[in-house]
Amino acid sequence: MILPNFEFHEPTSVAEACDLMARHRGKARLLAGGTDLLVNMKKKVLSPGHLVSLGRIPELSRLERSNGTLRIGAGVTVSDIAASDAVAAAAGALGQGARALGTPLIRNLATIGGNIGSARPAADLPPSLLVYGAELVLAGASGERRLPIAEFFKGPGLTAAGDDELIAAVVVTVPRGFYGAGYLNLGVRKAQDCNIVNVASFLELDDKAERIRTARIALGSVGPTPLRSLKAEKVLAGEKPGEQLFEQAAEAATRDCTPILDFRGSAEYRRAMVGVLTRRTLAMALAEARSRT
Amino acid sequence: MKQLIRLTVNDRAHELAVDPSTTLVDLLRYHLGLTGTKKGCDLGDCGACTVLMDGKAVNSCLVLAVQANGRTVQTIEGLETAEGLHPLQQAFVEKGAIQCGFCTSGMILSAKELLDRTPHPGEPEIRRAISGNLCRCTGYQKIIEAIKEAAR
Repeated sequence: MILPNFEFHEPTSVAEACDLMARHRGKARLLAGGTDLLVNMKKKVLSPGHLVSLGRIPELSRLERSNGTLRIGAGVTVSDIAASDAVAAAAGALGQGARALGTPLIRNLATIGGNIGSARPAADLPPSLLVYGAELVLAGASGERRLPIAEFFKGPGLTAAGDDELIAAVVVTVPRGFYGAGYLNLGVRKAQDCNIVNVASFLELDDKAERIRTARIALGSVGPTPLRSLKAEKVLAGEKPGEQLFEQAAEAATRDCTPILDFRGSAEYRRAMVGVLTRRTLAMALAEARSRT
Repeated sequence: MKQLIRLTVNDRAHELAVDPSTTLVDLLRYHLGLTGTKKGCDLGDCGACTVLMDGKAVNSCLVLAVQANGRTVQTIEGLETAEGLHPLQQAFVEKGAIQCGFCTSGMILSAKELLDRTPHPGEPEIRRAISGNLCRCTGYQKIIEAIKEAAR
């Protein structure tokens, strides 16, 4: 398969990358791991005139835990996130998503910034980042801004990033107290698969670890973007956690999504599986929250 | 416009002028004549083009040659030494893990990354490590046995 011709740029700083994106506004694409972009270019879905590679910008590949935050450079690979002890301790569901993504070969190339920036509705990392309330550091030609990840996705392949902007880092404020989260994805196979449904749940318990203080649930592959299930969250808030409550929340989540029918599964099946994965990830979140007491 | 790149392939330094749209698998096969790396789907699905780049197993069809500038690449041709076949290669031969052979170099390199990191993996780890490599002869069981044998 032949790649369309393009001009290749390899900036060594974020500022230089943003300048290049501004100069070739609308005609350039950012190249991170290449596992999505190069496939789309080979299939002639995309043929940008310029590729701006982010692979030689050292600051993008740093992963730091400090002062109650986890800062993951956009160029950190999915395999590094999967293997990171800092991620496992502070944001375990993100590690679970990383381990579920693609194959070992893809994980060694793919980056967290690419998985977010490509804005695929079935992507493995966004649901957990949504429930942790992560923020994106967007760098552009005129400076930096912070955006909650919930405001980033606008549709399949569409984001709030400007033409000259790139994701520099993902910042998770590590919750204090009794919190936990879980991520599960359902596909036809265990690897090299596009998700049929993927769900992340987050629970924070009160100071006595008796009632749910905060609940956040994100549903993937069942809408144009990953979706928060506010109906399910409302069922959970302030209540005592337990199987029956999680069952009710799961049922509410099935009413909060807009799945499509395709060769991977029917809309009805997807909706039913949203319920199953919501219930199971809530149980995972509760187990982790209780392990912190 | 062609770009000049330098990379090390199987301990040999190369300096080449490549078009930016050349992928690493094409560089290896057509510019360097290293046809042990196979080209299957060319879309990152099959794993036939697996090589080690700076020690990490990757789909070389999803890496641009210009991205490999300054990096160290190991292909199946780089595994054999003066003492003979690499233990993984020997185990694949002895255990009958090679049928048509098209997936073999990718399987062995994925297994090598695993064994370099985890010298004595369990079967679930082995299965996970080769989950990006498809064998259309479906000879997975023998491949897993060969990797176990090499890890002994």
